[in-house]
Amino acid sequence: MKTEFMGLKLKNPVVVAAGPWNRDGRSIRQGLAAGAGAVITETIVSDALIDVRPRIAYNGLGAQNIRLYSDIQVEGWQREMDIAKSKDGVVIASVSAHTPSELAYLAMKMEKFGADAIELGISSPMGESLEVVASDAERVFQMTREVVRSVKIPVMVKLSQNATNISKVAKAVKSAGGAGVSAINTVRCILGVDVETAEPTLSTYGGYSGAPIRPLGLASVATIAQTVDDIQICGIGGIEDYKNALEYIMLGASAVQVGTSVMINGFDRILEIVGDLEKWAEKKGIKEVKHIRGMALKNLKSFEEIKIEPVVSRIDNPVCHAECVACVKACIYGAIQKEGDKIILDTEKCTGCGLCTFVCPDKKFKLDW
Amino acid sequence: MNIKEVAKKAGVSVATVSRVLNHPESVAPDTKQRILDVIQELEYTPNWFARGLNFNKTDTIGLLIPNILNPSYMEIAKGVEDVSHQKGCNTLLCNGENAVEKERKYVDVLVKRRVDGIVLVSSLLESEDVENITKQGIPVVLIGENRGDVRGVPIVRIDCEGASYKAVRHLIDIGYKDIAIIFGSTPEKENRRKLDGYRQALAEEGITEWEEYLQEAPNTIEGGYIAGKRLIDLKHRPRAIFTSSDLLAFGAIDAMKDHGVKVPDEVAFVGFDNIRMSNLIEPKLTTVEKPMHKMGVVGARLLFDIIDTKGDEIINREILLQSKLKIRKSCGHRERIGEIF
Repeated sequence: MKTEFMGLKLKNPVVVAAGPWNRDGRSIRQGLAAGAGAVITETIVSDALIDVRPRIAYNGLGAQNIRLYSDIQVEGWQREMDIAKSKDGVVIASVSAHTPSELAYLAMKMEKFGADAIELGISSPMGESLEVVASDAERVFQMTREVVRSVKIPVMVKLSQNATNISKVAKAVKSAGGAGVSAINTVRCILGVDVETAEPTLSTYGGYSGAPIRPLGLASVATIAQTVDDIQICGIGGIEDYKNALEYIMLGASAVQVGTSVMINGFDRILEIVGDLEKWAEKKGIKEVKHIRGMALKNLKSFEEIKIEPVVSRIDNPVCHAECVACVKACIYGAIQKEGDKIILDTEKCTGCGLCTFVCPDKKFKLDW
Repeated sequence: MNIKEVAKKAGVSVATVSRVLNHPESVAPDTKQRILDVIQELEYTPNWFARGLNFNKTDTIGLLIPNILNPSYMEIAKGVEDVSHQKGCNTLLCNGENAVEKERKYVDVLVKRRVDGIVLVSSLLESEDVENITKQGIPVVLIGENRGDVRGVPIVRIDCEGASYKAVRHLIDIGYKDIAIIFGSTPEKENRRKLDGYRQALAEEGITEWEEYLQEAPNTIEGGYIAGKRLIDLKHRPRAIFTSSDLLAFGAIDAMKDHGVKVPDEVAFVGFDNIRMSNLIEPKLTTVEKPMHKMGVVGARLLFDIIDTKGDEIINREILLQSKLKIRKSCGHRERIGEIF
């Protein structure tokens, strides 16, 4: 399933997100060899600093990281980009800085070294001020404009869920001449606290990524798609399989980025997602992303548009042998009881909230009228 | 031992030996190896000065800093040297000692040695001095602001005025009104800008500016001590002091300690630079973080852009880097979050 993203022709919409798994030319080649449509470099900064240790934590659901920037200086990236671009493949350079002129200089350098596009990583929730840069539309505008003026390749800006109004920021990117946005960056987090020692999981605030942030990413992508005309969106946040990729595409993304899942599972995960996506597209007879992009948006409604039908919970077969009372516990309206192996559903009490259809492991409930 | 003897022994021309030394990729592998063996056998080392004459390149850059004892300049120097080293270049460090005549003398030496480029850090040179260097084909990059207005050369700097405004604004926001400033006599232009930022923050709040609250001092720990002492002795002692460098703050805090004045309870402090020590003294110094190492790295990068492309690009680029207020304990602010972010 081909896609065109910011004028770049990608053989598929799966992009390896910026991160330490793309820390040098060799690892970028691995992502491309696994079949990725494009790879984004680990975020490059003016002054590479020594990484703190430890800096990544994972709780089985989501990951927290503390400042993952490239430890290779710009000079070294000339060599790494030569390796990354030694064969076919689209390579996007992720750069981060705090002022327009600093950012533009880095982007120019990476363009010179052969990058096909630039991603501005200005929405990291770590080591910045309480307010992330990407929450300030005016600042994002200034930064994007200076970069766009300095390079000929397309520029996208990575946006943050930490912004109050993400579509305002996306509009600023567009009016500054940015070709696209990627959404969302990690979300500021503290993964947990060890209650025995009172130690937070990692020693400072970090960025939360992985499956738990996918619903936030989906909402952000849909919001941008519905509010900003003609902006190319790269969906990112918690993509673990081809279905997650399709969810982002159906909500308006032209391409998607996979990061944490590669970090936990390796580049095989790219191979898997790309393969499954192809199979799905072939079965459906879809050749290009644009044919399904935004398909789900028309089904997103306002409260006013939702038709209130008198639906209640129904079950076809009340017999349930499972030692489970999830439905009983979850019914806040007291409409479900269980007597022995039998579920007793009181449709008079049921208000049609729908929760039982999600909690039942056997999917016994459905809403109907 | 000279190149001719190497050529004779290896049975090749002098030009071929030279190519092995400078463009080894252009010589056939067998020939290259034979010549390298002879070089090793005869223990030949190329004459780098002669090489410089031939290639019009000495693989050396000059770095002129105002004062070698000020750690903030050493961090900048480290940044410059990091890039220069990676480029295979040597860096000649010159200590201007805040004296324009000494700076001129050093520049003269660097030009005579035909360095490939010069980095000037917060220099006292006049614009004509800088033009004299560039006219001779030696590129110049400025880090921090030069005394004389220089056009046509790249500069890496921070917004001293804006950063100082924010620092003083922070003191006002947490409740101080009687705020003094100790500003260094050098580097002149940057410290003038810091004074402007201080004044702007006070004026905005309608706070009267007292002449005796403006203390100019040599930009050293000793300078800070003397200025701090003068402020202690005032009839109306300030409740907070903003200093244009961390060194000045260290000196002034030392004066406070010697005279039994408690920091920050009686007098609060905000410094400028965020040198390593500011996080180690007690109370930890609230200060404006100047990205010193980064300034050096970016400055050197701009210089090599010109050297590598023979001046085809990036002649007049200005890179403004961000400074940031690091809120610690010396200002008397108790919220920890400012220290973290």
